[in-house]
Amino acid sequence: MIELLERADPAAVVEVDKERLRAKVDQAIGLTPRLARSPASRKRPLLAALASAAAVTAVVAVVIALRPEPQPDVFQSVIPAPNRLGLLPGVEQVVGLETGGVKGMAIDGDTIWVLESLHHKLNRIGAADGAIEASYEIDAYAEGVVVGGGYLWLSSYDHEGEVLRFDPETGQVDRTIALGGAPGWSAWFGDSLWINNEQGDLFRITTAGAITSMGTGEVKGQGLGYLWVNDPATELISSIGPDGARGEIVIPTHPGLETMSGSGVRLLIEAAGKLWLMDGDYPWGTNLSVFDPDTGELRTFGAVTFGLHSMIEFEGRVWLTSHTDHLLIRIDPETGEVRRYPMPGKPGGLVASGGSLWVALHHPGALLRIDPDAGLLEAGDIVADDWNRFPHRLLCTGGGDLEGPTIILEPYDWIDYGSWSVVQAQLLNQGHVVCSNGYVDGEASPEQRAAALNQALIEAGISGPFVVVANGDGVHTIRLFAEARDDVVGVVLVDPMAVGFGDFLEEQTGDHPPFADLDPATSAALDFGTVPLVVVGQDPEKVFLSPQFIAGFGPETARVVNDYWQDGLAFYRGLSTNVSSRVAAGTGMHMVIWDQPGLVVEEVLNVISRGD
Amino acid sequence: MPSLSTPPRDIDSGHKFDSLFADHYLAVYRYCLRRLGPADSEDAAAEVFAVAWRRLEQVPTGEPVRPWLLAVAYRVVGNHYRGRRRRVRLSARLGSEREQVVEPEASDPEIRLLRRALDSLRSADRELLRLSAWDGLSNAEIAAVIGVKQNAVDQRLFRARARLRGRFDQLILESSGVNARKAAT
Repeated sequence: MIELLERADPAAVVEVDKERLRAKVDQAIGLTPRLARSPASRKRPLLAALASAAAVTAVVAVVIALRPEPQPDVFQSVIPAPNRLGLLPGVEQVVGLETGGVKGMAIDGDTIWVLESLHHKLNRIGAADGAIEASYEIDAYAEGVVVGGGYLWLSSYDHEGEVLRFDPETGQVDRTIALGGAPGWSAWFGDSLWINNEQGDLFRITTAGAITSMGTGEVKGQGLGYLWVNDPATELISSIGPDGARGEIVIPTHPGLETMSGSGVRLLIEAAGKLWLMDGDYPWGTNLSVFDPDTGELRTFGAVTFGLHSMIEFEGRVWLTSHTDHLLIRIDPETGEVRRYPMPGKPGGLVASGGSLWVALHHPGALLRIDPDAGLLEAGDIVADDWNRFPHRLLCTGGGDLEGPTIILEPYDWIDYGSWSVVQAQLLNQGHVVCSNGYVDGEASPEQRAAALNQALIEAGISGPFVVVANGDGVHTIRLFAEARDDVVGVVLVDPMAVGFGDFLEEQTGDHPPFADLDPATSAALDFGTVPLVVVGQDPEKVFLSPQFIAGFGPETARVVNDYWQDGLAFYRGLSTNVSSRVAAGTGMHMVIWDQPGLVVEEVLNVISRGD
Repeated sequence: MPSLSTPPRDIDSGHKFDSLFADHYLAVYRYCLRRLGPADSEDAAAEVFAVAWRRLEQVPTGEPVRPWLLAVAYRVVGNHYRGRRRRVRLSARLGSEREQVVEPEASDPEIRLLRRALDSLRSADRELLRLSAWDGLSNAEIAAVIGVKQNAVDQRLFRARARLRGRFDQLILESSGVNARKAAT
């Protein structure tokens, strides 16, 4: 099949007039002003080199699909449910989801519906107590869920796009309606489901499942008593009234507001008598615009943060989640005040019920019930560096008057900086300044990350001394960072990943999770000297020596992989002459920061005291 | 030598860009051709190299350069689609927004069916399969082009191939049924 596909390439033997193409290139260059060089003069020589390396290969951060990825099977069985997310201020309840990968959420009275798309599962959760009342297998890849007419309406990508009608009484999909293209946004409006496909065909589907073409347009949301869709002819968003009349109100546009799909307004909601439009596509969605129906004017609210995902109105305020920045965001529509709260994972869906917010986390798979008035941990300034499609974030929060090193929390590649928020909250209580480092999804080498971290600190005006704390493969970044600076006074490595572990794991198991890694020669040249170091290991009995791993790969592979990991820990312990280590008993792969945040805090304070 | 019309930054930059163009113009052009057809592909390819010129300091050297260029092309082509879609919608509504690429008719009936099967897939699946089979990229390079992690490409490509195989088999079956009916009549 692959060979046949290769032969089917219509361009395989097509040539192009090289000179003519070059002439076009030259013309394009001549007409296009060149970009100014980004300033790099403040970098130290090594970091300048690292930065250069980062710029050279930083081509990958644009993530075009919001679809999350499942955990590799290797670790599927050994990741325990997080049990300490409730330590984060404001989190009232944690509902552990079996798999994560939440895409769609909907609220129906006192029931929350949560769609775990990757695992074809629809969960029915009681909003009163957070209990998972039922879990239904859905034989389709569905992302959207809308409540209406006594049914749930799931938008599925299967069979070139279709809508599934799910009857909550029977727990069955009892009707399938073809869309002729991948589904777009949908909304229940009046007595019908309104949905568009990827070609921009707009449909109205009745409760009985009858589908009617409504011309063209993309559903953007509801508000002010109308459904709002864009008009491909004018590229403006206009209203559809309860009677189906279209175009009674047309939202004007402003420069830079893209209303079409792909990079345009993703959704809109009503808040405080106005429409709030979320502009931009993942991961670049940053801006909000506000339409005032009284004046007919649309104004730019401005950039909030990257990766905006969900948006709802709740108790008079606009609430959003940022998938890439791991934030829950609150906006006061009257004053324009923006507050940002770190979430301990990738937040996706967001609904409100009974005075609480419910935020779905992709990793770890959990649903958080949040009391918005309970003093959530607030994010400090965000240093954003949109470095050549490799956006980088440094989120720093001051914690009182205590003089001491600034603590930098470096994430594990997959998990990113929100994962540290429970630890961060506890360190802030100790009076420290804590910076949680982060990156928008995408491959980034440790060299790139170390350079980005250094650059962000410089631009934020944050000087040392630093205590650096790394989780998992974040160890590689931290080692490079520490080598390039002379103001790192303490290091804590949590679950540090052995150099070459990804390749070794692939040899042993055939599976190569996307771990960051360090070149062995580079690794050999790095050590912490006399800087105090703590190495925290995971519990082998919960990871490679766990019954699940042994059952999956056999006792010999389990032993060999565990030996490699333990050798890595021993190597890390040898990197400082002032070292201590401990095992986080009972905690598995990279879960220490969630399972035992107190242990991490204890060791951070330990390393600080040893540096005094 | 850099072209006279190329605003020189310095001689090294000019040489670097000339080499970049000479080594990769065909791959970039073909990438654009496969997705946009002959009408827009030259302009799109020129746009890709214009971006490369502006970001010359960021262009990698060695093996990673082709994925870097195709990552730019991926976005340039995306912009062309959006622009084209608007033009199409403004002039006359088409039944489908599929890429209007005129492909030479293949003489091999299997290849014709395979192209039909490919056309019937979701655009994301088509793109992965084309990047792999036609642009010759490894999964890691595809991940760099479309901006996801390699394990995501591994999984999606696996599924896309399975879907392609399913569609292809279905078309083969349908085709053989038609042929059988023709033979019977």
